Amino acid sequence: MQRRIIHLDMDAFYAAIEQRDFPELRGKPVIVGGNSQRGVVATASYEARPYGVRSAMPMMQALKLCPQAIVVPPRRDHYLAVSRQIFAILRSFTPLIEPVSLDEAFLDVTASKQLFGTARDIAQRIKARIHSETQLTASAGIAANKFVAKIASDMRKPDGLVEIPAQEILAFIHPLPVTKIWGVGRVTAQTLHGMGVQTIGDLARFSRDALVSRFGVHGDQLYRLSHGIDERAVDPNLEVKSLGEEETFEHDLTQDRDVHPVLLHQAQTVAQRLRGRHLVGWTITVKIKLAERLGEGRFRLYTRSHTLPSPTNDAQAIYRAALVLYDAVPRRQLGVRLAGVYASGLEPEGKNAQLDLFVSAPQQTDKRRQLGHVLDQLASRYGEGIVRLGATRSMRPARSQDPGSVRKEDMHDPVARDKKER
Amino acid sequence: MECAVEKEELLRCLYLVQGVVEKRSSLPILSHVLIEGREETVSLGATDLEIGIRQQCKAVVKKSGAVTTDARKLYEIVRELPPERLILRSSGEGWVEVSSGRSRFRMASFDPKEFPAITPTVGTDDKKVAVSVALPGKILGEMIEKTLFASSPDESRQNLSGVYLEAQPTGKLRMVSSDGHRLAIIEREAGIAEVDAWPHAILPRKGLIEARKLLEKDEDSETDLALHGATAVLKKGTTELSMRLIEGDFPDYHQVIPKEKKNFVSFPREEFLSAVRRLLVLTTERARGVKLQIEKQKMTVSVNTPDLGEGTEELEVENNGGDLTIGFNGRYLTEVLNVLDEGLKINLFLKDEVSPGLLQAEEDPDFSYIIMPMRIF
Repeated sequence: MQRRIIHLDMDAFYAAIEQRDFPELRGKPVIVGGNSQRGVVATASYEARPYGVRSAMPMMQALKLCPQAIVVPPRRDHYLAVSRQIFAILRSFTPLIEPVSLDEAFLDVTASKQLFGTARDIAQRIKARIHSETQLTASAGIAANKFVAKIASDMRKPDGLVEIPAQEILAFIHPLPVTKIWGVGRVTAQTLHGMGVQTIGDLARFSRDALVSRFGVHGDQLYRLSHGIDERAVDPNLEVKSLGEEETFEHDLTQDRDVHPVLLHQAQTVAQRLRGRHLVGWTITVKIKLAERLGEGRFRLYTRSHTLPSPTNDAQAIYRAALVLYDAVPRRQLGVRLAGVYASGLEPEGKNAQLDLFVSAPQQTDKRRQLGHVLDQLASRYGEGIVRLGATRSMRPARSQDPGSVRKEDMHDPVARDKKER
Repeated sequence: MECAVEKEELLRCLYLVQGVVEKRSSLPILSHVLIEGREETVSLGATDLEIGIRQQCKAVVKKSGAVTTDARKLYEIVRELPPERLILRSSGEGWVEVSSGRSRFRMASFDPKEFPAITPTVGTDDKKVAVSVALPGKILGEMIEKTLFASSPDESRQNLSGVYLEAQPTGKLRMVSSDGHRLAIIEREAGIAEVDAWPHAILPRKGLIEARKLLEKDEDSETDLALHGATAVLKKGTTELSMRLIEGDFPDYHQVIPKEKKNFVSFPREEFLSAVRRLLVLTTERARGVKLQIEKQKMTVSVNTPDLGEGTEELEVENNGGDLTIGFNGRYLTEVLNVLDEGLKINLFLKDEVSPGLLQAEEDPDFSYIIMPMRIF
């Protein structure tokens, strides 16, 4: 039976939320991202895109292209709360949802026809509900597989809805540049260009054997995708493999006492995101980029991992592990340019939960978890940083405004902004 | 320095220092063994700055002095030499020569004056709080064996990454260890007189692993355990092992010891151990949950691992309580039973499925093992 897959992608998600919340930003080029020497564009509004501003572009470059753009520091927790609203809507149509990121997901609605109608009906209803409940727009692509659905959702942004019937798949994908294929990055694209391949159609003229002998296992995938074949299932459990938080500092940090509070803050954020998804992680990873140039704009990077005896979503446990890993990074006195904390080996919270001894009563384990969840609710309501551990307070002067790290207190006009939000 | 020593004697001594020598050290000299010849004896020394070992070796010293050389390489060479007397001799600046029969090796030596102190630094006021206890090596070895496994290998929980030592008012010596999920307590007669003078100390895992090695296969030798401020020193015969105590406070463990000992099940050690061992085959590293279902005089032990399979074992037990279903990490059960003696009758005291369980051998109430349940339902 033919599958019906919807790929749903919010339009300029972060920027759209800012424009929704602050009417004075509407109709203007808005860039969400860190406004510093090393800041990066997280999202650009549609008004900024004609200037060539793109996600992941250095902020300095973006502002050269579009000097009149209004730069807004990201409010990650706020976006997360909106994202939860959107996923709640999606879940009312099917449990077969594979989140790709905060603002993007695949839905398998093959079995939802009896209840909600055709895939096109469902996509329309989802878009309408998202709009009425969040005043935001989404674009949807519908096809028999994930690969084509994803390309389709990108065709008529913003607020688009594109359905590709099975018999039109090849006609649809073959004129597209080969870089539209997942896994075709700069390097593969260069090789393909060398073989005279510009479009997906060019690629489809090669035999499977020719592609496998040239690209190995990846060649088989290229062959299939170029023929519009993609059998990957929409996997609700594929949610996330790891969760992390990293930050590039405006000035390199040469003192451990400046880095430690950053790690604590990141551990808290990671713990909070884990709890938000009802997950626990087995492995904690610390990523440290030193201010040691290796040429070609690269820097010395250390990643250190540690697998815990039992999985956790507790900020203290994550921080303790992160600290041990960080202390093992050599030559930190050169200056730390970037620090990050990650959790991986994720599994659902409560599955095989080993209870802890050193809490006054067993139910305290639950109380601590409840405390975590209460803190999360406070944070999503009043902004991250409303309640935090004593030791993190002193960190503020050492921090920069980079994507993913900026809290409400760091905003230009916190008071005015707070009022509007409530 | 020049001395003559029997191969087997040198090999035995070198074996004992190997564990202390750092394998991957940033300080090259820490991979070396310090060999000092003075009068009638040769002393081997090694340290990783946290623990240190000094081993006296029977030898004939022809010329006093000291050399250092790569401990692992020397051990490997000596191991391969024929069982004959061999000669160690400093050979000019920065070299040491090892010869035996027709074999001859020249190995690099550091300046022995550069060798760090074998015993971790002892502070100035350390002498004041020096306490010590003498007890049979067999007993000390048993105490370490029965606690070390429950300590935390996780460096991020420093105060749990060792074994806590405490003198009891009864004069007994108590050792406690925990990884935050289970806790082992053992007490043995030690005849400690000045109980109040005993400080609270946490002995590091690495040091205790070496101590266990030193005490294994011990017949009846006397050992001496002393605490000087931040250092513990264990002396047995010709060996002196010192270790830096772990800083920090051991958690208040008294509060987790179940006070209520009403309901319990009893079973023979081997029967339960082999059942759990078999069941653990069908579990994974990340999910060692074992379910214990106690009904009347029967205990059903089971595992269920998605994508792998399930297993069930039925045991006859003496049940001195009601019915209960509880989950535990199976590894935590086998590890404790492995260190207990064969033929024991095990009592497992349980309150409910979320409270800590207490495991004891009926024959030895001075050993307790407290284990937190796992939610596996």
